Amino acid sequence: MSEGNCRHCGQTFPVRSLFDLNGATFCERCVKVASKEARERRLPSLYMPLISKSICARCNTYIGSASDAMQVGNLRFCAACGPLIKDWDYPQWLKFSLAALLLLLVVALAHGRKYFHAGREMYVGEHLAAEGQYRKALPHLQETLRIAPRSDKAVFLAAKSALLSGDFDSADRALQGHDGGHFENGDEPEFKEVESIWKRAEGALIKAEQANKLADQQGKEIEAARLMHEAATAYPEMPDLAFLAEAYDEGVVFARKDYDAFVTIAEKQWKERPLANTAAALASALGCKFAITGDSSYRQRSEEMLQTARRLAKDNPEAIKGLDEFAERNRYRLDSRKIIDKQEYDRLFRNGKNPSK
Amino acid sequence: MFFIPGPVIAALTFPGVIIHETAHLFFCRLFKLQIFDVCFFRFGNPAGYVIHQQTEDFKAQFFISMGPFFVNTLLCVLFCTAAFLPVWELKVFDPLAYFFYWLGLSIGMHAFPSTTDLSHLWAQAPELAKKGNLLAIVSLPLAAILVVLNYARVVWADLGYGIAVGVLGPMAIFRALAR
Repeated sequence: MSEGNCRHCGQTFPVRSLFDLNGATFCERCVKVASKEARERRLPSLYMPLISKSICARCNTYIGSASDAMQVGNLRFCAACGPLIKDWDYPQWLKFSLAALLLLLVVALAHGRKYFHAGREMYVGEHLAAEGQYRKALPHLQETLRIAPRSDKAVFLAAKSALLSGDFDSADRALQGHDGGHFENGDEPEFKEVESIWKRAEGALIKAEQANKLADQQGKEIEAARLMHEAATAYPEMPDLAFLAEAYDEGVVFARKDYDAFVTIAEKQWKERPLANTAAALASALGCKFAITGDSSYRQRSEEMLQTARRLAKDNPEAIKGLDEFAERNRYRLDSRKIIDKQEYDRLFRNGKNPSK
Repeated sequence: MFFIPGPVIAALTFPGVIIHETAHLFFCRLFKLQIFDVCFFRFGNPAGYVIHQQTEDFKAQFFISMGPFFVNTLLCVLFCTAAFLPVWELKVFDPLAYFFYWLGLSIGMHAFPSTTDLSHLWAQAPELAKKGNLLAIVSLPLAAILVVLNYARVVWADLGYGIAVGVLGPMAIFRALAR
C-alpha cells in the first residue's frame, strides 16, 4: 500500500506523509487539529508518522504486521527490542560508579573540613574588618593563615587588621609567611592598601626607634620627645607610641625643672597603665617635688610608689635590677634634696659607670 | 575564543555526561516511562542520550527535561564547595581539591538540557501556563534562558555556567555560614 486516506478530510496521500493518532490515520494538516482536539478531550494527543508503525522504533528493523511485535504507547518494537525496553535497568557499572561518586563526595567534604574551618574564620575576619573591628578580626585571620599562609586574601586582611590595630609584628609575620613577603600582583588594590599602611607604620616605628636612641643621650630629651610625638601622630593605631611620647615628655619637663608638670604626667601615666615603670616614674616625680618643697607627704608617697614598683616587677629580674639602680638615686634625692640626673649621679658616685648595664 | 572539538570536551568532562544521562534515566523510571535506548557516553554528538516514551504528563516532562539541570547543578555545587576554598580563596596546593574541582566543573558543565529536551517542554508549557499550571509558569522563563544558553555553548556558556555555579554557589554558602 503506497497511499492512504485521511480520516478527517478524506483525501488520499502517500503513506510516507500520513500520521497515526490513537489508531486513526490523518494527513499532516489534519493531524495537528486532531491532536489538539484529543488533548482537549484528555485523550492521548501524541502522533507519529504512519510509516514508523512498520519499523521497530528502537532498531529500525522492518516489522510490518509481525505478530510478535510489541506495542509501547504509540510505538512498535520488534521481538528482540521489546523485552529490552521493558526491563531497562541501571547497568551494574553505573551503580558502582554512582556509589563511588557518593563516596567521593563524602571524602571531598571530609577532606575539605579543615578548609571549611579556615574559610569560615577568614569570612568572619573579613566581616569584622569591614566593620572596622580590626582587633577582633585578627585572631580569626591568623587562624586562617595557620592553614593557608599563602592565601593573598587572608594575608592582606590579616596584615591590614594587624596594622590597623597597632600590631606591627603580627602584620610582619603574616606578610613574611607569604613567600617571604613576595606577591605576584603588586597592582591589586588590596596590596596597595596594605603597602600604604605598612609604609606609614614602618616610618613611624623608625622614628620611634630613633627617639628611643636619643632618649638615652644627655640633653636630647626634647628631640627624642618630638620624634616620638611625630611617630605617635603618624601611626595613631599603635597606642603605645602615644603613651611613650607622653613618657618622653617627662624627660622634657624634668630637663626644664618643671616638676609640677612631671608629677602631673607621671600621675596620668600611672592611672592609665599601673605598671612597674610608671610607678617608678611617679616615685621619681614625687621625689623631685619633695626635694623642692620639703613636703614630707611627697617623700612618703615617693617611697610607697617605689615599693609598689618593686611589687609589680617581682617576676621580672631585669626590671628589679633597674629599680635597684633607680632606688639608689631616689634615696640620694630624698636624703640630700638635690635633683641630679642619672649621668651626673653616675659621674659622682659610680665612677662614670652605669650599674644597670 | 578558541575552538575545541565537542568530543574532546565531552571526553575531558565525561563524568558530567554520565550524570546528565543518569538523571534523565532516573526521572524516566520515576515517572514509569518506557525507555527505548540509553547511551551514557560516546565519542559523538550527542555524547549521551536517553530515548524514552513521550508523555502527556507535564510534570513528568518537566522533570525528565530539567532533571539533569537540577541534579548536575546540585552535584557541581557540592563538589565545588568541597574544593572551592583551597583552590580559589586559600591558594593551597592540594591535588585532591583540584581533582574534586575538576569533577564539580565537569558535572556543572553538562547541566544544560539539550534543545530537544527543551523543545518538548516548550511545546506544552505555554498552553498550561495560561491555565495557571505553576510548573509550566516556572518552566517558561527557565526554558527560555536555557535555550539561549544552549546556543551560547559555542562561546563556552556551559563552562561559564559550571564556573559560575562552582564559584558563586560555594561563596554564597560560606558567606551565609560565616554570619
